[in-house]
Amino acid sequence: MRGWKALFVKDWRLIIRNRLLLAVLIIYPFLIMGIIGAAFYDVGRPVPIGLVNLDRADAGETAWVGAQAASTAGLERRFRRRAVQVEEYGGEAEAVASLNAGEVSAIMATAVLDEPALWMGADLSRDEISATLLDLKSEAETWSEYATREEAVAALENGEDSVLVAVGEEDYPYIGETIWLEGENYDASSLVLRFGQDVTEIEEYGSESEARDDLKQGRIDAVIVLPRGFVHKLKTLDEIAQVPVVIDQSNLVKAEFAETSIRGFLSRIKEGVVENKTEAVVAGLHILVTGGDFFGTEVVGLEQIRENLETLKRALQDRPDLQETVDVGIELADTVISDIEEAAVYLRGTALPIDLEISSVAGKRLSAKDAVVPSLIALSILWTGVLCGAILMVIEDEEGMRIRLGLTEMGAFALVGSKLLLATAVVFAQSAVMLVLAVAVFGVFTSNAALALLVIAAASFSCIGIGLVIAAFARQVAGAVILSVLVSFPLIFMTGAVFPLSQMPTFMQWIARAIPLTYAIEALSGVMLRGETLADVAWQLGVLIAFGVGLLTLGSLLVRRRSA
Amino acid sequence: MISIKDLSKEFDGVKALDGVTLSVEKGETFGLIGPNGAGKTTLIRILTGQIAPTRGGILLDGEPVDPLESSYRLRVGLVPQEPAFYGRLTARENLVLLARLYGIDKVDSPGRITSLLAWAGLEEHAERQARFFSRGMQQRLSLAMGLVHQPELIYLDEPTSGLDPEARSTLWELILRLAGEGSSIFITTHNMEEADRVCSRLAILVGGTLREEGTPGEIKGLLGADRVELRLLQDRSADLDAICHRLGLSWRREGETVIITGLELPDKLPEIVSGLAGSVRNLHYREVTLEDAFLRFMREAGG
Repeated sequence: MRGWKALFVKDWRLIIRNRLLLAVLIIYPFLIMGIIGAAFYDVGRPVPIGLVNLDRADAGETAWVGAQAASTAGLERRFRRRAVQVEEYGGEAEAVASLNAGEVSAIMATAVLDEPALWMGADLSRDEISATLLDLKSEAETWSEYATREEAVAALENGEDSVLVAVGEEDYPYIGETIWLEGENYDASSLVLRFGQDVTEIEEYGSESEARDDLKQGRIDAVIVLPRGFVHKLKTLDEIAQVPVVIDQSNLVKAEFAETSIRGFLSRIKEGVVENKTEAVVAGLHILVTGGDFFGTEVVGLEQIRENLETLKRALQDRPDLQETVDVGIELADTVISDIEEAAVYLRGTALPIDLEISSVAGKRLSAKDAVVPSLIALSILWTGVLCGAILMVIEDEEGMRIRLGLTEMGAFALVGSKLLLATAVVFAQSAVMLVLAVAVFGVFTSNAALALLVIAAASFSCIGIGLVIAAFARQVAGAVILSVLVSFPLIFMTGAVFPLSQMPTFMQWIARAIPLTYAIEALSGVMLRGETLADVAWQLGVLIAFGVGLLTLGSLLVRRRSA
Repeated sequence: MISIKDLSKEFDGVKALDGVTLSVEKGETFGLIGPNGAGKTTLIRILTGQIAPTRGGILLDGEPVDPLESSYRLRVGLVPQEPAFYGRLTARENLVLLARLYGIDKVDSPGRITSLLAWAGLEEHAERQARFFSRGMQQRLSLAMGLVHQPELIYLDEPTSGLDPEARSTLWELILRLAGEGSSIFITTHNMEEADRVCSRLAILVGGTLREEGTPGEIKGLLGADRVELRLLQDRSADLDAICHRLGLSWRREGETVIITGLELPDKLPEIVSGLAGSVRNLHYREVTLEDAFLRFMREAGG
């Protein structure tokens, strides 16, 4: 052990008297942890979403519908057939003016190849407008609803649509309906606002283009377009309500958050509607048994019918042959009542087949900041450990002292041992301070801090070993720093610190198994977030120590070989 | 004190040293001179245990010794070519560290370190970080660090390389004082003049082979004696024959220049001049230097 203390003190002085080393080894990891920690501190905030509600009937407003139809000629012919009189216009402006003036109730434009669009109008009834739109839908290869005239006309002009239909919103079928859900009445907007309020921050836009502009500029993370008749489709459940959602996938994490949030609350709306429907059907079935108002019709219940049959049977005491016939009716009534009760139970079960009761293995629900701390500490161990190990060894070469030290009476392992001890102390102290700060100041959860410190010590040991190997390939501190960064940077992405290991391809998982940091992250996450015990992480601790010993030996051999 | 027997070293089949045999006696200042790449630093590296020789061995006081052995390492000190110290430690901290690593008693070391700092002229700068020292001060600190454990034999690898004349002079004074205190010194250098002045014995290493070994005078003698170069107004061949015969000298003509060589030339100059009275246009006396000898060996090695 001769010389360990003197070398330890010497190296510590070299670090604290060198501003660059002080910054790189001591201050920088805290800075990085602070920045990343701050980024994850408030990750649970609602996702900003833009909402464009087309399912709203505003008097005086025009509803525009566009489609790429297989046969525009057939659509035009049927439009003409429904109308008493068809007006033809010189262009879009004339057609819109006619619609706005109330001269016609619907206008249609058809475009064939490069020819100018044909604009026509007719005074159709609501039923005829409905039939025209159904007709268009049946022919449509694509179907688009527009909030503004400009968007609709642009789609026709650039060939996205071959047919446009415009009608007054008050004439548009099934627009602006409301739905009764969880004791309240909602239109399309309020329905989305109510069910999305926990996970999203919704801002309403007048048109899709406005919303898309804000999406491009990053003010919102997604745009939901509620189509015309959205609520009607929910109420009737006879047609799928297609809800266009636009997300910005240039940032996959943001896009994933937005999509998950939207799917979540739309699913809740769907479940609520199905539950309502089911309850209504169950109530109806109950009316069939007990009697009463069955969806607007007063019905005699099966129980009453059965009672009547019993009365009839008693009245036919002297006609056993007729009593037998009545018995068949009573038996049938019993069977139907029984089947209806079973069906009601079945339907209730169908409406609510799954109910999640989520709990965490940590014993409490964890936040993003809880989950990110083990990875942050592991990254800090990697950074400081590798750099500290490499720099402390290379300093001897840079100062020309390795030869001189070799002539002294210091112990056989004093040089490497003292550096290992100092580097471990630095990395351990740094990580321990980070852990204490995270827990005490930022309220981060950890289930076993003492065991986490043990894992930190083992992880420090193995990462310093990487640094000692790097030192064999550098002769100056600057070179050691560059090599350390070159080695550490890819490791960050290959060990599950950034991307979940289980989501990586198999070969990447095998590579990750050859990197000590992988085991450090596993063990730290285990003891901090999953309540794992010493026995649970013994394998990872063993691997970390084995890596440390192996890398230390390799580093020493490489340094010795280079010296020779 | 230390002998090197038939020492050879090859790097990937290239001979850096080839059968070098020499010895350094106790209290002797031994100089090894040679051009760049001659193998001087390789020899020092072998002698300080940094690399092993391919062949040959080292004897300490007549006994074979492994340079890695503690008994050897404690008796030798090293001053590398480039100053070696921790720049962010003070001069005193550098010396204290080495004292600790050499296992010098904590009670003894403060006095030893203070006297070393004074010896090297660094006592006023003892608490300054060494990186702020001038190059000369850094080399003096490096020299002091090689002496912390009071070695009997000190290896100095081109210690004045890169120093300005004043710093070089100061360092040579220190080396002379060290020699005067009875230490054995093995020094490699390019500076022939100072090697001539300081070293009691010299060896010339060229291409890994030891060419000559001896006192500076012996080595210079190998080149030949001092000489007088004359330009005469007329041909005095007969007089030159007579004078040289009488004084035990020899003469030859190189173009218009007459060259007289022989021993104790400075004492015989008055007789030569009076013998050629009236005919001497100019006279130039030239003493043979170590550099002349070195350059001659270099030419021979090259040719």
